[in-house]
Amino acid sequence: MKSLLFRLGLMASLILAGAVRGSAADSKFVVAMLPKAKGNAYFLSCKAGADKAAKELGVELLFDGPTDSNAAKQNEIVENWITLGVDVIAVAAENKEGISTALRKAQAKGIKVIAYDADAMPDSRSFFVNQATPQGIGYALMDEAARLCGEEGEFAIITASLTASNQREWEKHIRIRLVTKYPRMKLVAVRPSDDLKDKAQSEATALMSANPNLKLLMAICSPGVPGAAEAVKQAGMTGKVKVIGLGLPNENKRYVHEGVTDSVILWNTESLGYLTVYAGVALAKGELKVGASSITAGSLGTFEITEDNIFLGKPFIFNKSNIDKFDF
Amino acid sequence: MSSPSPSRDWKALLLRHETLLLFVLIAEWLFFYFAGTSSRRGVDVGFGTLDRQFDILRHSCEIGLLALALTPVILTAGIDLSVGSLLGLCAILFGKLWHDGGLSIPVAAACAVGFGALGGGLNAALITALRLPPLIVTLGTYSLFRGLAEAITHGAVTYTNFPARFLFLGQDRWLGLPAQAWLFLVVAAAVWLLVHRTTFGRSFRAIGFSPEGARYAGLPVERRLALVYVLAGVIAAIAAIIYTARLGQAKADAGTGYELFAITAVVLGGTSIFGGTGSVHGTLLGVAAIAVLKNGLACLPSVTRLNAAEEISGVLTGALLLLALTASVFPKMLSEFRARRQTGRPRPPSPQPV
Repeated sequence: MKSLLFRLGLMASLILAGAVRGSAADSKFVVAMLPKAKGNAYFLSCKAGADKAAKELGVELLFDGPTDSNAAKQNEIVENWITLGVDVIAVAAENKEGISTALRKAQAKGIKVIAYDADAMPDSRSFFVNQATPQGIGYALMDEAARLCGEEGEFAIITASLTASNQREWEKHIRIRLVTKYPRMKLVAVRPSDDLKDKAQSEATALMSANPNLKLLMAICSPGVPGAAEAVKQAGMTGKVKVIGLGLPNENKRYVHEGVTDSVILWNTESLGYLTVYAGVALAKGELKVGASSITAGSLGTFEITEDNIFLGKPFIFNKSNIDKFDF
Repeated sequence: MSSPSPSRDWKALLLRHETLLLFVLIAEWLFFYFAGTSSRRGVDVGFGTLDRQFDILRHSCEIGLLALALTPVILTAGIDLSVGSLLGLCAILFGKLWHDGGLSIPVAAACAVGFGALGGGLNAALITALRLPPLIVTLGTYSLFRGLAEAITHGAVTYTNFPARFLFLGQDRWLGLPAQAWLFLVVAAAVWLLVHRTTFGRSFRAIGFSPEGARYAGLPVERRLALVYVLAGVIAAIAAIIYTARLGQAKADAGTGYELFAITAVVLGGTSIFGGTGSVHGTLLGVAAIAVLKNGLACLPSVTRLNAAEEISGVLTGALLLLALTASVFPKMLSEFRARRQTGRPRPPSPQPV
């Protein structure tokens, strides 16, 4: 009795599965894009640009990642894409070393790999789409902070995670600029927020109570800026503790208009996603080769390449005067 | 020690649960084989490739080990929520001993296993000596171990650059299978023998049924309980080493949330959360059913286009677990209902084959 049922069930599932198989065959060009955290508005605006580029180029775009910044899940997603046989994998690495073992495996299978936003190990990818040099970002942040504080006083940094490679680079250049140009300013603390607004808010609150002379909070991850602003607003410290940071205009518009946040510094994230897809497809089609000095990306025009870095351009400062002109 | 009188009944039920689960697993696998495999430019891709099958093995080794560790614990009607955090702590200690302590990989690994035993020993001491409930004790150590891992690394240090010979364990194949799968099989065989072929295993079930009864029967209940928690710590440490080798990094967030996947696998495998009944092979089937579901979904074109394989697999894993629980309770409820109608009063409760 049991074995009869078993056989019937087996047959049923075979028939069912057979019916589905026909739809699976696909030979469209596939670009798979891995964000650090897929719900993060920063990466969603990268995706908006990437979608636009994919549409223009007629390729299929997969966009999947961990819901939190989790290196293990990033690896599992990349390994899945390898067995799905995608053509290009574009990654924003949560952890350089961790992701690179999976990326090397992808390269060994003939998949083209490109990094964007946060670089992987150089031997595990062909190019890195560099949204801005760490020096450009670090200096712009520090200069803006110094300008707002009158080049004097204490400030603190809220970062995504203390391990992420791009955050550490920015922090390094912030410190270099601080030491060489602003001797009367003092960095009192650097706190991680795990790329979460709530955590950034509680860290900002803790920083303000631990450092009564704090003049400015600098958040160098996108959820950190509104998080810090909310903390300042709730503590009634608007104007006394200034907020600046790397973030998205839309997330910060409210706080900029309320006068809590003074400046938001960033590059155009949609352009970053757009350029990444163009570069990935050009690479896979053999149009972009090692040693190239420039690349043309659709409606955005030409971008400069130095060695294996494709540069997006200079950072941009959003403030009360211009933030409403941007919508991402 | 043998079980109470309806022994044959619930043994048959247990067998049925596992047979059912095996059937679900095969059906699942076949479905994904046909629906999740396709051809791109003349090459087979997706679920049906050998690479994918090996990836499933590689991705499920750590959670599988934790599920093996939890089976004896849950058989004694206990629980260990700290295994995922202990995995993280052992990974960090292993990385630190090798990177900063200058120890060789095998020595560092042996030390990590020792720390795993110590962590499990802390749980065991609190549970047996102070008679505190395992749920609360391991909820405490769940935070404690993860906190220690973060404190040791200041939340910032990630140990990487492990030698290729060590990474082999997590990333390459040995004798046809992913290297870590062999280690997993050895641990699985050892736990199976312990639970099903020794008096220890029988004592775990006896304790799970009734700790007082087991004590009156002359079983050293405290020592047996201590054994299962220390064993869980040791296995968590082995999982930590495999995890580190697979990712090539040891970071304080290693294994976050794995304990819940492992408990799900154990319960799906037919082990009662109230203790007393269950099996190691059921746990292995539970691990496989969840791993195939999770990895198979990621290969379905319709799911990859939604970019939400992880989320959908979470929903379906939950549904599968609830379905399995309902299916296993249903026949018993039906027979009780019939008995009540015949005699006009309920039968005395029998052990729950949940």
